Amino acid sequence: MKAMLQKIRKEAASVLASGEADLVLGWGKGPLWWQSYPAFIEEEKETGSLTWDPFCVPNLSKYLLEELWVKQKVALFLKGCDALGFNQLLQDKRVDREKVLIFGIPCSGLIDPQKVERAGLHQGLHSVEHQGGELVFSYKDDQKKEDPSSFYYDKCLTCRHPNPVVFDMMLGDAVAVNPQERFAAVGELEKQDVSERYRYWERQFSRCIRCFACRNVCPACSCRECIFDLTDPRWLGKANVLSENQFYHITRAFHMAGRCVDCGECARVCPVDIPLTSLNRKLIKDLNELYGEYDAGVEPEKEPPLITFNPGDPAAFLES
Amino acid sequence: MKKIKKGDLPLLWEHLARGALLYLPLNEDGVVNFAPWQKGARVNLDSLNTVVPPKNLVFPQSETYVHFEQKADALDFTPVQEPKGDYILFGVRPCDVAGLTVLDRVFLEDPLDSLYENRRRGTILALACNEPDQSCFCTTFDLEPGFAPAADIMLWDLGEALLWQAQSAKGVALTQNMDVYLSEATAQEEKTAEQLQVTAAAAEAAAVREQEWALDGVKAVAKEMFDAQIWESLSRRCLGCGICTYVCPTCHCFDIEDFSRGEQGERFRCWDSCMFKDFTLMASGENPRPSRKERVRQRFMHKLSYFPARHGGLHGCVGCGRCVRKCPVSIDITQVIKEAGGLINRA
Repeated sequence: MKAMLQKIRKEAASVLASGEADLVLGWGKGPLWWQSYPAFIEEEKETGSLTWDPFCVPNLSKYLLEELWVKQKVALFLKGCDALGFNQLLQDKRVDREKVLIFGIPCSGLIDPQKVERAGLHQGLHSVEHQGGELVFSYKDDQKKEDPSSFYYDKCLTCRHPNPVVFDMMLGDAVAVNPQERFAAVGELEKQDVSERYRYWERQFSRCIRCFACRNVCPACSCRECIFDLTDPRWLGKANVLSENQFYHITRAFHMAGRCVDCGECARVCPVDIPLTSLNRKLIKDLNELYGEYDAGVEPEKEPPLITFNPGDPAAFLES
Repeated sequence: MKKIKKGDLPLLWEHLARGALLYLPLNEDGVVNFAPWQKGARVNLDSLNTVVPPKNLVFPQSETYVHFEQKADALDFTPVQEPKGDYILFGVRPCDVAGLTVLDRVFLEDPLDSLYENRRRGTILALACNEPDQSCFCTTFDLEPGFAPAADIMLWDLGEALLWQAQSAKGVALTQNMDVYLSEATAQEEKTAEQLQVTAAAAEAAAVREQEWALDGVKAVAKEMFDAQIWESLSRRCLGCGICTYVCPTCHCFDIEDFSRGEQGERFRCWDSCMFKDFTLMASGENPRPSRKERVRQRFMHKLSYFPARHGGLHGCVGCGRCVRKCPVSIDITQVIKEAGGLINRA
């Protein structure tokens, strides 16, 4: 962990000093243990404020949409999941690869603050870091050591690409890839009968507070103008009622079909824990079954399934 | 003072729910929010703040107030019947009670908002926080984690029982004829509650001091804050989502819209967020807050400067810490307060 932090600061300082990049996107640290946030570094002397700890979860690549308007070249650090999101922006022709310098960070999983809280380890907590194979929780006067496996984000447990698939320079050795089955929760939902499943999603969408964090954080949601923001016509009504919430989530999920890189950021940022991962994965699973395996974000030059047409594509919906 | 054994709470709730709609913090799919209690509901009185503050009960996220229909000769309007009947809010944390007091200043002063006034009729049972979270900072605003003066009944968690004190006429009325559930508290129990109250406030204040920020800075430099550098850096990382405003117990901005199909429709109001770019978009296409910088600044300035200037020093923040906990990119109002303090030191 400390070695990676040194590399991050060194590379950031180096590209700013040489003028190779005029902005570095990394992570900074707030006063509370879980606060690792996107940092915008433009001066070599500020690189000492960069951090790398088990909470550096935000994907930095979406900031390129704004920053590349004014910056010549942006250097940024990408974990495995972030790299998939970056590739999606590339495929959608929203970033210019030539203007970006990528440092890849192999990542063996980040820590979910909610799991720390549920385990009752949060009171008075100062910091959390990996040491050896253990997760060390530091308090004012003492430390607790735990097995990290019960604290990883769910999305990290099913991560298939912990090693970035796109980079200019990799900052560490590849980590082992050992994902749990990612469609398990979808499989459970599929077993329910239609009305039971409908009630489940009704309950989830009823909880939505319509903050749009899921859309705003999504690397596949990069439209300059979003259908849900249009006021004329007003496709999505502003009332928080079930039908509008369903319309929002289902429409968004379908717009993501074949483009969702399964980075899990939507579910992470959702303040009311709507299991958006299951919704997106259902579509990924269906697409895989209908049109063959496709892994969005891995090979951006490969055409996504819903952009291509093959005469042999299944079209049961046309025949009925 | 009275007390109730925790084991008797389900009986009490059953009793209360017979005469009124009873809202409690309920766990649904792992998310704790205020919802109508029913027998067998998963009540959670241990987690501190609900995700969504109880403001949605007095100021619903969406509220239809008039139906309209085009008749042959005229447009016909029918006001929506406002909800009647008693309701009880059980287990509200002191910061959230204070949040309602802030909303009262907006909606109950001239011009009076009758929709809000009607929904504000409920009886509030507040539950003291014995152990505030690291993200709590209600003491910054002269509030106490262990005491809610504006609640109708104040409850303190003594472990095996809740200490119960009526604080208003409504609270006294509710306490009457409750001998089946309530018993007299001992002097020792009252002392314990008092001690818990002191300890909680001290612990929170100490944690706040550890972070080295105080509100004094903001009071002194409120005007200078408008041009502060922090808005640039904070807004750069802001995602522009509405989490902070919608989980806030004091944010109260709303929009009014119509939903119509064919010859009829309804007019409703709904929460709106100053973080959204269309919040200040005018019909002409002009937007006085064109970028995230102006929008982020607005949210903090409103809470820390404009609101107290208009409402006799009362801040538009109660330190519940929800926005601190839920912001996906850790934008933290306490850091804004700290930066403002730094402004004075630099001046």
